[in-house]
Amino acid sequence: MFSSDLEKRELAFELYDGFKDSDLSYVYHGHFSQKITDLIIMMAETTMNQAGESARIKKRVFSIMVESLQNITRHQDVVDEHQGLFAIEQKDGNYFVTTVNHIFNSNIEHVDGLLKKIQSLQAEDLKLYYKEVLTENEISEKGGAGLGLIEIAKKSNNKISYHFHKIDDVCSYFYFHTCITPREEDDSDDTELVRIDNIFFLHQLLKQKEVQLIYNGIFNQENLINLLNIIENQMEGMGHIKRIVFNMMVEMIQNIVKHALRNDERKGNPGIFFINKKNGMHVLNTGNYILKKNIDEVKSKIDYVNSLNHKELDDYYNKCLFDFQIDSPKESGLGFIELKMKSSDKIRYTFQDIDDKKSFFILQIYIE
Amino acid sequence: MTPLIYDGTEDTPKVVLDRDAEEFLISGRSLPEDAFLFYKPIFRWLEEHAKNPKKKTIFRFELEYFNTSSAKQLSKIFIFLKNIKEEVEVIWCYQVDDIDMLNSGKRFEKFTNLNFKMEVLPVIEDDDFRIITE
Repeated sequence: MFSSDLEKRELAFELYDGFKDSDLSYVYHGHFSQKITDLIIMMAETTMNQAGESARIKKRVFSIMVESLQNITRHQDVVDEHQGLFAIEQKDGNYFVTTVNHIFNSNIEHVDGLLKKIQSLQAEDLKLYYKEVLTENEISEKGGAGLGLIEIAKKSNNKISYHFHKIDDVCSYFYFHTCITPREEDDSDDTELVRIDNIFFLHQLLKQKEVQLIYNGIFNQENLINLLNIIENQMEGMGHIKRIVFNMMVEMIQNIVKHALRNDERKGNPGIFFINKKNGMHVLNTGNYILKKNIDEVKSKIDYVNSLNHKELDDYYNKCLFDFQIDSPKESGLGFIELKMKSSDKIRYTFQDIDDKKSFFILQIYIE
Repeated sequence: MTPLIYDGTEDTPKVVLDRDAEEFLISGRSLPEDAFLFYKPIFRWLEEHAKNPKKKTIFRFELEYFNTSSAKQLSKIFIFLKNIKEEVEVIWCYQVDDIDMLNSGKRFEKFTNLNFKMEVLPVIEDDDFRIITE
């Protein structure tokens, strides 16, 4: 038996599995401030640069991201308990941008009509319609005139889909999904590219498990810094907790950067990181591949620090701190000790079988 | 001796090692991917400095955050400071609400027996963190 007392099917694995065909997925669920939207865009920029994307596709992804994020920030304050969601996914060279925000039921008819109209138009007509709406200047209360939606449709060659899901008599969730293909003049009808039900399922899962942030993809130092910036913003005003979360994130993600198994040619190690809440505690989760032959070593390290009481842990930290036998670019021997010292519970872990050679290593830290 | 000066970045601290100005400082955040590599030139510099130290070396640590691999390298810095034959004083700074940082200083003090002075830094406004904007 590998795990401590975890649920049967791990959320980390569930999420990783759900994203497994994508090269990158980044999901933010929570309140969107201006700073956070800036950071999300910066993060996408870093990842697209690392992937060596062309300037052309970057530009299209950016403008769609900006419009989508504005859509969320404009509409989120109405009912704050229904948090918005932003997701970007990359798969086989295609980008998928999805937003979820709430909408008053009384506005659905208008938005639905607008989107139906947009979807019925060909590229040229879409441009004309854009100009038409622009000159009519029929600005809605919230400052939008549907121009954002038309712009997204233009940039994505109309590869959009949407869905309304009723919350109560007043509000609904508005799911909006876009696909950006590398081919500029692509009018093909790749409806299978648009998978709104997948996002719908994900959104339900994130709400239920109180997941705030997911990053799934390649891990390196640059991505770590971007994630840290986002978390610092998201947890603004949370002082002590923020400091610990920051601390633990660095150790956990650098663990992936330095030790995870790389199973392809990309620049970094694949894995998943997410934060959720459980019983009022923050839970930091990582998942990454590990060679089966290394499992015992990792397991015994964690079990050992888990077995120590406060005083023993402190002594062990001191011993390792000044033990220069373990001192290399990869290893300081302090990571798990620090994780245990700062967490409010035992370090939880599990190894999910993948194949003969490798397993998926899930690590969980609880912070009160 | 040529001073060793690094500007701070998002993940590496500001470093000033300057004998003429009598300034010895490490400040900011230290979470490089490879702390071992980052701190190497600092050890080399300190080794040289120890050969012919000034009457007094006052080394100031004004760290906001460091990861475990940096902790290991910091402990090495203290070993190098121990080797200085003249007087050494360590000023360990921490923000008033950052007990962990204070405890780290106490830990290093206890295990190196160097002369430590703990200094409280004024609290930085919570929303006053650094973001790189282009």
